[in-house]
Amino acid sequence: MTDKEIKSKRREFLKNIGRLVGYGTLGGVFAGFARSLWPNILYEPPKRVRLIDPKNLAEGMNYFPEHRLFVFKKGNEVWAISAICQHLGCTVNFVPFGQKVKKKILGKIIEEEWEFHCPCHGSKYTQDGDIYAGPAPRGLPHYPLEIDPATGFLVVDMSREVKKDWRLKV
Amino acid sequence: MKEKLYQVWRALIWTFDPADRGEAGKAITRNFWLHWFPPRMTKRSLSWGYSLWLGTISAVLFFILTITGIILMFLYVPSVERAYQSIKDLEYAVSFGWFLRNMHRWAAHMMVASVFLHMVRVFYTGAYKNGISHMAKRQINWVVGMILLGVTLLLSFSGYLLPWDQLAIWAVTVGTQIARSVPILGDDIYYVLAGGTRLDQNALIRFYTLHVIFLPALLLVLFSYHMWRIRKDEGLASVEQEKIARKSGKPVQPEMVFSTPWAVRRIILVSLGTFVWVLFLTVFLESPLEEPASLEWTPNPAKAPWYFLWLQELVAITTIRIGGFTLNGGFIGGVLIPAILGGAATIWAFIDKSPPEATGVWFHRSRLVQNLVFTFFALLIVGMIIFAMYFRGPYWGVYWPWAWPELPEII
Repeated sequence: MTDKEIKSKRREFLKNIGRLVGYGTLGGVFAGFARSLWPNILYEPPKRVRLIDPKNLAEGMNYFPEHRLFVFKKGNEVWAISAICQHLGCTVNFVPFGQKVKKKILGKIIEEEWEFHCPCHGSKYTQDGDIYAGPAPRGLPHYPLEIDPATGFLVVDMSREVKKDWRLKV
Repeated sequence: MKEKLYQVWRALIWTFDPADRGEAGKAITRNFWLHWFPPRMTKRSLSWGYSLWLGTISAVLFFILTITGIILMFLYVPSVERAYQSIKDLEYAVSFGWFLRNMHRWAAHMMVASVFLHMVRVFYTGAYKNGISHMAKRQINWVVGMILLGVTLLLSFSGYLLPWDQLAIWAVTVGTQIARSVPILGDDIYYVLAGGTRLDQNALIRFYTLHVIFLPALLLVLFSYHMWRIRKDEGLASVEQEKIARKSGKPVQPEMVFSTPWAVRRIILVSLGTFVWVLFLTVFLESPLEEPASLEWTPNPAKAPWYFLWLQELVAITTIRIGGFTLNGGFIGGVLIPAILGGAATIWAFIDKSPPEATGVWFHRSRLVQNLVFTFFALLIVGMIIFAMYFRGPYWGVYWPWAWPELPEII
């Protein structure tokens, strides 16, 4: 290589370094801008909340609108089912039949007193929250309940799910 | 004396009635509002029947939306506590508040329709083709136009949330949950769109900012480029027809006319017509405002705005279950199918290999098959909108519009 060629190669190398630094800095700055839009702290209501003194629960269905949650009471058993449709997040309606009704659902005959129907796209859930018609990809989640030892109130933990036969004895 | 008076008269009106090519050119270049036009245009590209002036109509609507939108910004508070109240005030307390709101709303609905119809027109006339021009790259403008259609839809959608009523919150709940149903990335997209895990103040301020500055600015930049490209592409695609005729030796009349007054007059006419039509809707049709937004219960049925009803129909019927594996219809009908349709339409401009003669002319025979396929999908979308609008009732069931069932009171 001649002197001239070496110099031109050196110049090309330095130019590339300049480009890298320039575009890299610009990219980094914009990545920082974008990152700021991902919140680090959420001022949202907690997932684990105190609901009600279980003595005041009605027999059958209790709806807690601010938590979009159904709490059911049958004798001394209570359990909680989410009211959020698993398709696209609408609030499902509680549809009571007023009596026990035998229905054939997904090839099985089951006895039901109520169902959950979604107004947005027509998903239908059984009494236990299992999806049997409409577009929802999965059933309504069940959440664990507990009794707050300090106040004796019912507490729900909506951050984790439990099986649909889960019951709390009160 | 008479001569003198005539000169004064000419000095006043020459830009609107140029005597020769020189004056016609100056009338354009010396006018700030007109300087982006060529001094002369072809009669065909100015005709009513070729372009239907849908692009101009869309631009006028955007102008109306900008003016009314800026005034609305003085009157609207983007906070979950006060947003609904500020819309109520617009309806009942602010002088002519209802007028502003109606005008903004109807211009927005019209713009979605006119931009869509503009796209349909460009397809049917093969106007994304280059004909025999060596300079034109009209496919680029087709791609830009498709993006503009998308931005228009996003603008409508982001504006939809702002009244913070039941209509708003459920349309946007469903819309953002569709984004959430995307595999793997869904939760992150939702998180940054809503600014959290639920629709609240963070979501409102994000949609507001998108609606009042980010998306309009993007639209304005793309629109300017859209216009600039028409100049670079040597005019509307219909000019190719004259070029082809001239090349094949057919006698072509000098069909060029001065932009002033020919184009200017029609632009003014179209602007006035659009304005009057929007005024008519504004005065005679009310804008709905439902109860304040509440996630506690959902209206039954909860329907999306008409231009998204086909998507609502799709997300309700496209959930796939194969054995234990389930794919949410939100993803298939809400993301995958529209993306495939939009993507296919966008790249079609590069795939269409019909002859140059099919450029800038309605329903050219050589494009019969693709026109039919395009019509099929366009009608499918329109059909789904009509079906979802009139035949979907409570719980998204299928009913005759006059035979909706009585619903028991829901607790």
